[in-house]
Amino acid sequence: MPAFSSEERQLLNDSLRDLLADKYTFEHFKKVARAEDGDGFSRADWATYAEMGWLGVCLPESAGGAGGGATELGIVMAGAGRFLLLEPFLGTIVLGASAIEKAGTPDQQKLLADIATGKLTLAFCHAEPDGGYARDYVRTIARRESDGYVIDGAKAHTIAAHAVDTLVISARLGSASGPVALFLVPRTSAGIKLAPAPALDGRRGAAMTLTGVRVPTSARLGAGDADLLPAIGDILDRGAIAVCAEAVGAMAAVTQITVDYLKTRKQFGQLLSQFQVLQHRLVDMSVTTEEARAIVHAALQAVDDGDPQARHTIWKAKVKTAQCARFVGGQAIQLHGGMGMTDELIVGHYYKRLVLCESLLGDGEWYLKQLAAEMA
Amino acid sequence: MFIRSVERDTSLDAFRAEVRDFCARELPAEVQRKQAMGQHLERHEYDAWLKRLGARGWITGKWPKEHGGLGWSPAQTLAFNEELGRAGAPPLVPFGVNMAGPVIYTFGTETQKRTYLPGIIRNDTWWCQGYSEPGAGSDLAGLKTKAVRDGDHYVINGQKIWTSLAHWADWMFCLVRTDDSGKKQEGISFILIDMRTPGITVRPIIAITMSHHLNEVFFDDVRVPVENLIGEEGKGWTYAKFLLANERVGNVEISRLQANLDALSRLLAETREGGKPLAEDPLWRRKVAEHEVALATVKALMADQLAATAEEGGAPTLMGAAALKLRGTELQQAILQSVMDVLGRYGQLYQTDALHAGWNGELIGPTDSAGLVYEHLYRRAATIYGGSSEVQKNIIAKGALGL
Ligand SMILES: Cc1cc2nc3c(=O)[nH]c(=O)nc-3n(C[C@H](O)[C@H](O)[C@H](O)COP(=O)(O)OP(=O)(O)OC[C@H]3O[C@@H](n4cnc5c(N)ncnc54)[C@H](O)[C@@H]3O)c2cc1C
Repeated sequence: MPAFSSEERQLLNDSLRDLLADKYTFEHFKKVARAEDGDGFSRADWATYAEMGWLGVCLPESAGGAGGGATELGIVMAGAGRFLLLEPFLGTIVLGASAIEKAGTPDQQKLLADIATGKLTLAFCHAEPDGGYARDYVRTIARRESDGYVIDGAKAHTIAAHAVDTLVISARLGSASGPVALFLVPRTSAGIKLAPAPALDGRRGAAMTLTGVRVPTSARLGAGDADLLPAIGDILDRGAIAVCAEAVGAMAAVTQITVDYLKTRKQFGQLLSQFQVLQHRLVDMSVTTEEARAIVHAALQAVDDGDPQARHTIWKAKVKTAQCARFVGGQAIQLHGGMGMTDELIVGHYYKRLVLCESLLGDGEWYLKQLAAEMA
Repeated sequence: MFIRSVERDTSLDAFRAEVRDFCARELPAEVQRKQAMGQHLERHEYDAWLKRLGARGWITGKWPKEHGGLGWSPAQTLAFNEELGRAGAPPLVPFGVNMAGPVIYTFGTETQKRTYLPGIIRNDTWWCQGYSEPGAGSDLAGLKTKAVRDGDHYVINGQKIWTSLAHWADWMFCLVRTDDSGKKQEGISFILIDMRTPGITVRPIIAITMSHHLNEVFFDDVRVPVENLIGEEGKGWTYAKFLLANERVGNVEISRLQANLDALSRLLAETREGGKPLAEDPLWRRKVAEHEVALATVKALMADQLAATAEEGGAPTLMGAAALKLRGTELQQAILQSVMDVLGRYGQLYQTDALHAGWNGELIGPTDSAGLVYEHLYRRAATIYGGSSEVQKNIIAKGALGL
């Protein structure tokens, strides 16, 4: 039984489209992304998303959420992609929420309510310098002290880590060979040195070093010394499919924009849309977007169905979506000619977001390699 | 097939050594430092270096001796560019040496040659290209900027767009319409415009690189002396095509491709996954080998094209340039895509502040990563500028295949 009926999904989709088409214009995007005195995203918009119920859409009803599944999450993320939303969806409602849900104690689960209301923003800081996309490379260490833990290490650049309330940080317990645990660490904790940097698509974030960062025992997600690496794998898979859904939203939008542009631009006394070679290219963009949409949908469905193969379907979706994003983004610029190269047009911004979607949490080649290894 | 003998780079060792020594002595440290970081150079920084090259005649080494060049063979020119790249020097800026100059010495009067060529040879003047207009991109011959004869002057009104480096240029070579009564190719004239002439407004366009390279240029009753016309009035399309062929061959910069590929190898050695350098991954090594194959192919296409050009009297044709431009720019994008695939491991960042001198913030990732991302973004246009890939294919379809 899906959590939402088709009608409810349609309503969710329409609510995103209607509100964002009106409020989240390109001008708004640029203003928020570039405000010198801002964080690169809008807390006011975040509050609106909370009010609309989007942040809690797949949180449990006990936390004030709507109890939706992966598919509903996909609908929200596709909306984020379609309108180039800058707010920290991935870190907060996908990776962060999923970490708390999967690993948190009943007490920690209460934090989910704060996510739904927009009070709590999170960044999931797992990848480390020299780790690349590897999921099992954790050199950060948390040593037990009488009343808590002391964390030392470094984390790679993470979107929104410069500005969210709490960082979800992975670390090995005790030593380099210890089990991996997750900690909820306030961003402003003593010993955290953030190196903020903008990503290609205008979103900001930070890499960080952790030196003697003290946290209480209650900061550790869950109890017991079980290795959380497998859970982290699941969390990252959920992130991967969410990023794919975001990419599908962006691809659909930029394909439509390109179709519309070619219907108005004339060269050689003809609309560009009348050149058959360009028609076919637009068709390829459209079909490519459809391919990505279809496999991402299949993966979301597999997760919701509890399909034991869901993980591999997600990986396949990430491979395919990365390939599709590269083609669609590149062609959107190409078919706009010089116009596609200006910062003044939204096309280049979709291109950049798609580059990010391709590589966040592992690029297509990386997932292909994981698939090859597991299917051998 | 395989008939023509293509010159090989054999006896150029002494020349290469000379260029290397020169660069080691003369390349300003600041220019080299910025190049290594992938930072933007200012015009005065280019000048400091290019004027030294110019004093040796090396900017225009490939021009014929009779026009002030050194008569370098294609192989020597390539060797020169390669050594510049290896020394960490910026590539030459093409608008004077590759575009304006050859048109002037091929179609210009003696006075025009005396007036304009020395400034290009010595890098005293910077040029920009006034071809594209809002309504005339791929359909360049559809251009509308109008030049009306008034005594000893043409009065020019209209607009150009995408004009690279117009904000630095002293001169523009410009296509204007002097007649709109006949076929659109027939009423075009080629004229040289002093950028300080009253009535010219240059407005920046910020590109997806977040940098200022492109401009719009507006002409409002701009009076240009008739003696600035190149060749015959109304025959500008012929000179324009001659220039485009040179431009397209020039769009494929072998030494830049090599530099990008070298950068990729360096990034692979520097970047780790699961603690191990990516360079140890056989799949990455295969990728680099794939790029090497494509580069060898583009080099061979280039050698062939240059040899054919030499046989045919020194000027490439649009047909000859098309395949080279197509594959060369595709390769450039493919290599820079691989660069991005590596940089994804650092979070796909673009620290644009790092592109400017004096920045002392914290850089995440390899030292030149901002410059490489800039290059990736900018070269999205490689398949657009100089005539898009689609246009090159149309040329081949029509010209080579008779379709
Ligand atoms: C970075 C950059 C630097 C530039 N520098 C200069 C400069 O210094 N001086 C200058 O004059 N110009 C410059 N240009 C302009 C450049 O030459 C034009 O952008 C180019 O010719 C394409 O024209 P357009 O932008 O109007 O695109 P359009 O002609 O509108 O083309 C849009 C798309 O339609 C395709 N298309 C058009 N016609 C056909 C057809 N018949 N069949 C199939 N496909 C077709 C094109 O290939 C392209 O993909 C520069 C451009 C860029 C991006």
